[in-house]
This record gives sequence, structure tokens and C-alpha cells, in this order.
Amino acid sequence: MASQTVKRAIKEVKPILSLDREEARLRVLNLYKAWFRQIPYIVKQYDIPRNEEQCRRKLREEFTKYDNIPDIRVIDMLVIKGQMELKEIVNVWKQKGHVMTYFKDTIEPKPQDFLSKFLNGKE
Amino acid sequence: MNIVHHYSTHFHWFQLETSRKENSRVTLRLVCRNAVRSLTAEVQEVPKETRPTVRKSNAIARGQLKDFGKYAAECLPKYVQKVQITAGDELELLIVPEGVVPVLQFLKDNHNAQFANLVDIAGMDVPNRPYRFEIIYNLLSLRYNSRIRVKTYTDELTPIESCNDIYKAANWYEREIWDMYGVFFSNHPDLRRILTDYGFEGHPFRKDFPLSGYVEVRYDDEKKRVVVEPLELAQEFRKFDLSAPWEQFPNFRRALPASETVETEEKKK
Amino acid sequence: MAGVKATTGLTGLAVAKNPHHSLGVLYSKILRTLQKMPESAAYRKHTEEIIKERSQMLKANACIETVEKQIGCGQIEEVIVQAENELILARKMLNWKPWEPLLKQSPPNQWSWPPVQ
Repeated sequence: MASQTVKRAIKEVKPILSLDREEARLRVLNLYKAWFRQIPYIVKQYDIPRNEEQCRRKLREEFTKYDNIPDIRVIDMLVIKGQMELKEIVNVWKQKGHVMTYFKDTIEPKPQDFLSKFLNGKE
Repeated sequence: MNIVHHYSTHFHWFQLETSRKENSRVTLRLVCRNAVRSLTAEVQEVPKETRPTVRKSNAIARGQLKDFGKYAAECLPKYVQKVQITAGDELELLIVPEGVVPVLQFLKDNHNAQFANLVDIAGMDVPNRPYRFEIIYNLLSLRYNSRIRVKTYTDELTPIESCNDIYKAANWYEREIWDMYGVFFSNHPDLRRILTDYGFEGHPFRKDFPLSGYVEVRYDDEKKRVVVEPLELAQEFRKFDLSAPWEQFPNFRRALPASETVETEEKKK
Repeated sequence: MAGVKATTGLTGLAVAKNPHHSLGVLYSKILRTLQKMPESAAYRKHTEEIIKERSQMLKANACIETVEKQIGCGQIEEVIVQAENELILARKMLNWKPWEPLLKQSPPNQWSWPPVQ
């Protein structure tokens, strides 16, 4: 196991965008700011039953979902994908349904305790 | 686009054989005159093919393809790992991922190659390889009436240089690969999804992408819009056993090997 | 006819005014670029050979049609386009240095088919 991790560390990889962690962090922050600034326009352009405050909270949640990613290249890839999604929103390629997908408002939380599982008729 | 497509071209060849026979002589003469000029075609004795359904191998065309493969490998020893001929007469250059742009530029602009058309870019996913994706470029030279295939490899996180500057056709093909396999192309002018819906997550042509997808989409009458919900019957990570317990194509059992390696200068030394 | 061609018959490809001159310039530029490459580079050898052959044909014949027939690679305008492409390629090749030894071997079983289990 130990030898495997050593090998993993030595393995030479081609960077996607960022060369070190700091650069990757800056890219993430830039993306976050870009999204943050877009939120008022999103609320205005899309007919969604959410206000700016709720959108900001959702944005933060989406970013903190990927809190602990050690690999810079994975971070870069996520930043690239986030950038593309932002572009889709800015150009209004996405529609109301696509934007509301982030909020998952039709998904019922899975039953946790025994009784509600029983009543739900599952398991 | 995917591996199935890759196979289907081969089968297609078999069916086409009868109609191609008339054309082949004309084609051959053209190739003879124009093929790599300084090299002489080496013709090998091939056992006579008697099965009626199998496409006959053309020794002269094969020799010329081999010669061109050697020529390309000699000119670009830095990038070409292997040269092989598959399915009788399809030349393949297997190259290092860094060499995509130089090799394609060479094949497009060199006097002896002139592969000016990019027919297709395909992807292939073999999860148990260290570099799981293959990127396959199919090129066509109208001048010499011949085709070549350039293959390279990558994984989920290693970017491949975009060849959009060489072939304008690559723009959408690379977007397709990005969308279906998630291979990132650096320096692409407009890399974004092309086939999937906005907000779609995952890359459908990856082997670990479940057949049923991760989400289901339905129209909600209450909300008056389409909603996306996680799929109830989530599939486990699928493991593929490619060898079936019975034999599907017993007639192909004794078929000639699918690919033949062309010895290049480097290997002979 | 009398040496004056109205059109090449190819979209976007105009009739060359003075093909001898433009080809001569292009070929000498290509040869100069190739001279910066090492002697042993196969690309240099093969390209020099074909360029020299073509420029000799060009010098030997004043008639464009004979040159076209001897080169056997389409009309003279197409030959000019080919030379332009080769020049661009040769200049790029100087940066890429493709005559160096192989960058890296492929990982074992990368190219085996059917794939190793």
C-alpha cells in the first residue's frame, strides 16, 4: 500500500489549467464571484419562485459540496464545467426547468426512521 | 462515435465487397501512380482466400499502405509508437498523446500524404486500461484516394490538444467527444455540450455510466414545468464480461488476425 | 487555349498568373527551411528529394501543361497550394523537432485488442 502511494506521488501528470493549488483556488474564487454577480440577473430573467437570498445560499451549497478535493486537476475540471453552466445561464440557453433542477424542490427526502419507511411502503 | 460504430465499419466492408470489385482496378491504378514515390511496394504471397463472403485482401494496396506507414513513422519517430494494418487494408498510426497536432499537421500538409479531410473523430472507453480512453481520428486523402486512422490515448483528467486549427471539422467532433466521454480538449475555441440537455450530468458513453442514467425527467402538472428527479432503480457499477459462454461467430474463429504490425525502422535496429 | 486558362474549375482557386515564379520562390523557401534541420532527419531527406525533383521539372519545361503532366499531382494551382502547405509544415516542424527519439512508450497492453482482462 505504502509503495503504491509513493508511486502515485511521483507519477507525472499534465496539468489542465492550474499549476499549483493557489492558482486553482483563485480560479474557483473567480468562478464563485462570477456566479454571485449573475444571481440578480438570473432572478430577473428567469421566472423562478426564488429570491436572490435563496439563490445565493444554493450557490454556496453547490460550491461547498466539493469542499475537500485534493487533486488540482479535478478542481480544474469542475471549474471548467461550472464555467460552462454559467455560460448556459447567461445566454439563457437553459430554461426555467433547468435552473430549478438545482433546487430539487420536487424530490421528497428519503425516509430515515423505521415508522416512516414502513408507512412509505418501502423496505 | 463509440465502439459499436467502430465495429460496424468492419462489417460494412464485407457487404460492400461485390460492388467495390469493379471500382478497385481503377482505384488501384491511381494509387500505383501516386503512392509514396521513392519507396517500392513490397508484395507478399498471401494464401488464396476461397471463402465467398470474406473480402479478399489486396496485396498491392496492402504493400503501399505498409510503405506509407513506414514513411510516416520514419518522418515522425518522436510521436509514432506503432504502425499497424487492421481488417486487411486499414492503416493505423498509434501515437503519443502529445503528438496529435504535429502528426495531423504532417498528414495534412506533406506532399506525399495530403490527408486534407477529417472524416470523423471517435472515442473508445476501455476501463481496465491505465489510460482508459482512445481518441481515434479518421482521415481521408482525396488526392491519393486513401484513408488513414490515427489513434491516441488519454484518461479522464489528461487534456488532449485540440486539432481545430488544422481541421475546422474537428470543432463539433471534439465537442461530441467532450460531451460523451468527458475528455478535455485544450485550446478548443468553443468547447461545450452538443448532444445532451443543459444540466445533464455525466458522460453517457463511459462504460461506468448506467444504461438507465442517473435521473429521470417528467412533466409536473402542479409546477407546470419539467422536473428532474433521481432514478429509483439505480444500477450498480456494471462489470463487463466480453467473452460469452457460447460462440457467436464460429465462422470467424479461424479468421486471419485482425491487425498486423508494420515493422518500422526504429524496431529493426 | 494557347496557354491561357480561363478557370481552374475549382471553387476558390484562381488561375495562377505566374506559376513559375511563385513556385520557384516557394520551393527555395522550403529548401532554406529544411536546411535548418539536421542532416539525418528523414522528413528533411524525403521532402528535399520531392521538392528538388519538382523544381527541376519546373525549370526544364516552360510549358505549364507539360509540367503538370510530369508532376502528376493536379493542376499547377493545386501544386502551388501543396507547396504553400509544405512550407507552413516545414516551419512548424522546426519547433516540433519530430526527428528526436520517441517521447514515451505506450503503457503495456494499451494497444492490445481484444483488451486484456
